[in-house]
Amino acid sequence: MRPEPGATRRFFREAIARALREEMRRDPSLLLLGQDIGAFGGPYRDFEGLLAEFGAARVRDTPVAEAAMVGLGVGAAAAGARALVAITYMDFLMPALDPLVNYAAKLRFKTAGQLAAPVVVKTTAGAKGQGVAHSQCLEAWLMNVPGLAVVAPSSPGDAYGLLKTALRAPGPVVFVDHKRLFPLSGPVPDEEATIPFGVAAIRRPGRDVTLATYGWMTHPTLAAAAALADEGISAEVVELRSLAPLDIGTLAGSAARTGALVTVEEGQLPCGIGAEIAFRVRESVPALAVARVGARPVPVSSNPALEAAALPDAPRIAAAARRLLRPSAGETA
Amino acid sequence: MIRQLRVPGPIADVEEVRVLQWHAAEGDRVEPDALVVELETHKAVVEVRAGRAAWLRRRLCAEGEWQMLGAPLALLSDDAAETLPEDAATAAEWPVAFEVT
Repeated sequence: MRPEPGATRRFFREAIARALREEMRRDPSLLLLGQDIGAFGGPYRDFEGLLAEFGAARVRDTPVAEAAMVGLGVGAAAAGARALVAITYMDFLMPALDPLVNYAAKLRFKTAGQLAAPVVVKTTAGAKGQGVAHSQCLEAWLMNVPGLAVVAPSSPGDAYGLLKTALRAPGPVVFVDHKRLFPLSGPVPDEEATIPFGVAAIRRPGRDVTLATYGWMTHPTLAAAAALADEGISAEVVELRSLAPLDIGTLAGSAARTGALVTVEEGQLPCGIGAEIAFRVRESVPALAVARVGARPVPVSSNPALEAAALPDAPRIAAAARRLLRPSAGETA
Repeated sequence: MIRQLRVPGPIADVEEVRVLQWHAAEGDRVEPDALVVELETHKAVVEVRAGRAAWLRRRLCAEGEWQMLGAPLALLSDDAAETLPEDAATAAEWPVAFEVT
């Protein structure tokens, strides 16, 4: 893989560390809080080098106390600083929902704009062999909260640009990465760059069906699109990048061209991202065939065979698209 | 005999590595168990050590370059002056020990 001119191939963790480093230099009020982000360099080495450059007052190792961690970050942000709180796995965000939802997301409204909480919660979602309480994708819960931005990259370049934007945002942002993204590498721009929130990207153009997804699921979805192309089905892959705000315009434009929409998420389907997208896209594209792909309604097992059985993969995504376009095919996924 | 140093494996979740640092120069005699090259994965460093003595003749990847697991990193020879082949793939595999830390 050769990166395009003006970009260098980097590991996913390096894109994260670079965004943090640049924003720490730019904004002296920015603090980092997290478990093992200091001398250890972060659970995925994604905080490597930051303690050495910025010191222990700005790069703070915390106890295993997520509610207190996010509470500290929100308080620091409300008091005029800016904070990034690293919650290792998204499952552990649950004890911290109170400061995030009741305080950070509400602060600007509660104070008639006098206070804001520019805090970023960076957390790692998704299944990779770690069982029921270390595998969940809970981003749909967060999309339900007015005042919270939620972004989820699929590549080092987008992780870099979205995290930079998150660290400049006026209010709270949840930055959701995924365990399976860390082994990846990809082009990251050599020059400093940001990616705006609320702008989806068309990763593969197509004519017959729109596949809408985000985060790690972008990769199996692209594999499904390649498999469908071999059968003569031209699938367009739209990667959301930003879940709140959602770029309904790009999705609706694509769906209006193809006439069919398959949403793909790793989390649960009820009240999920697919449900939200499908409803909102149909508001502007009424005659749209829609299907959703997501996890089966079970907790994710630490048994690899059961984990794989519960989650979407390229064959299931392709089967859903096929069924939508050829209802008589009669396949089950 | 001409031998090739390949990126060792398997390494969990890794298809490709980045060359972090060479510890032998072209023309060096490498003794058994000597550290030859360090490779970088997304979360670890892979130390590659000589499984037998040889002369390091040509590095095929510079520091900072990427290479797939199983692909050649260098050519070595048992005797210092043996002629190198055009195509690295024809060379026998050079035995190495590796540790992921």
